[in-house]
Amino acid sequence: MKERTAPLPATALTEADIAGGRVLSVQSRLRADYAWDAGLAIGRYLEGLQAGSILGVHCRRCRRTVVPPRAFCEQCFGPMDAFVPLADTGTVNTFSLCYVTWNVQRIEQPLIPAVIDLDGTSPRCGILHLLGGVRPDAVRVGLRVRAVWKPAGRRQGAITDIRYFQPVGRGS
Amino acid sequence: MPLEPTRHVERLRTWRGTLPVANRYTYGPAAERFFRALKDDARLLGTRCGRCGITYVPGRLFCERCFDELNEWTEVGPAGTVEAVTTVHWGPDGSRLERPVLLTLVRLDGADTVVFHYLGDVAPADVRIGLRVRPAFKPPEERTGSILDIVHFAPA
Repeated sequence: MKERTAPLPATALTEADIAGGRVLSVQSRLRADYAWDAGLAIGRYLEGLQAGSILGVHCRRCRRTVVPPRAFCEQCFGPMDAFVPLADTGTVNTFSLCYVTWNVQRIEQPLIPAVIDLDGTSPRCGILHLLGGVRPDAVRVGLRVRAVWKPAGRRQGAITDIRYFQPVGRGS
Repeated sequence: MPLEPTRHVERLRTWRGTLPVANRYTYGPAAERFFRALKDDARLLGTRCGRCGITYVPGRLFCERCFDELNEWTEVGPAGTVEAVTTVHWGPDGSRLERPVLLTLVRLDGADTVVFHYLGDVAPADVRIGLRVRPAFKPPEERTGSILDIVHFAPA
């Protein structure tokens, strides 16, 4: 049993060991260029965002309007019927107060990612975005929010063309 | 009626980006010892498994047959024997090489495993299995602790 509990033989290395050549190493840097084609549905969605409008798609058979747009209805597997302009207002479905960034840096003021049910869409197809212009302790499920857009000239056809959603009624 | 297809190709959107992938590889205790001896002394080291009677080159920490830890380091070569050879006419990017390159598996004297390397200073027609070869080492100041500290193997 003793061998089993003994620490495994290991060599701890520091930056100095490598920089100083105490251990041999090889280093390389790969450039992984990629291009992701947005496709018909998301392509139109991004185009709409650049124009300051949120597009959903409608399935007549299921009577569903969903966002972001997709080419096929995941309930009936039929093709979607039409693009539908949506309001840029909605309701907070769920949210999180996030005190670490994506790369695990601690932050004082939390980011508030939230799932927002846009007005005019069917249940359970909220979009993920950020809340802003609101105190963290004032955020509630059910809060009414409106998109805060980038100025038209600075939009680039991205979900970040909406800066964040803020409570309806706050001077937007 | 499905969504109308786009008639404006210029509207189709593509996201472009670059993933930076930085990579650093340290050799580990066994390969460190092998490549250090190659770099500093132009010596080739293996490890021996007494139980299996096999000498591994480059030396490694564990026997691949019985998984026993290997501590017995031994110098091999530098001469060896060609166990296999292939003539390469095409480069990694699919373009035809100006001159074909010979790749070989060499079993160094005293070793039971083979090392993969270039075969040089020999015409493809003169190569045969069993050919006796020796490594051509780079000069000490050019060696970095890489298998390419050996330029190639050439007929002994």
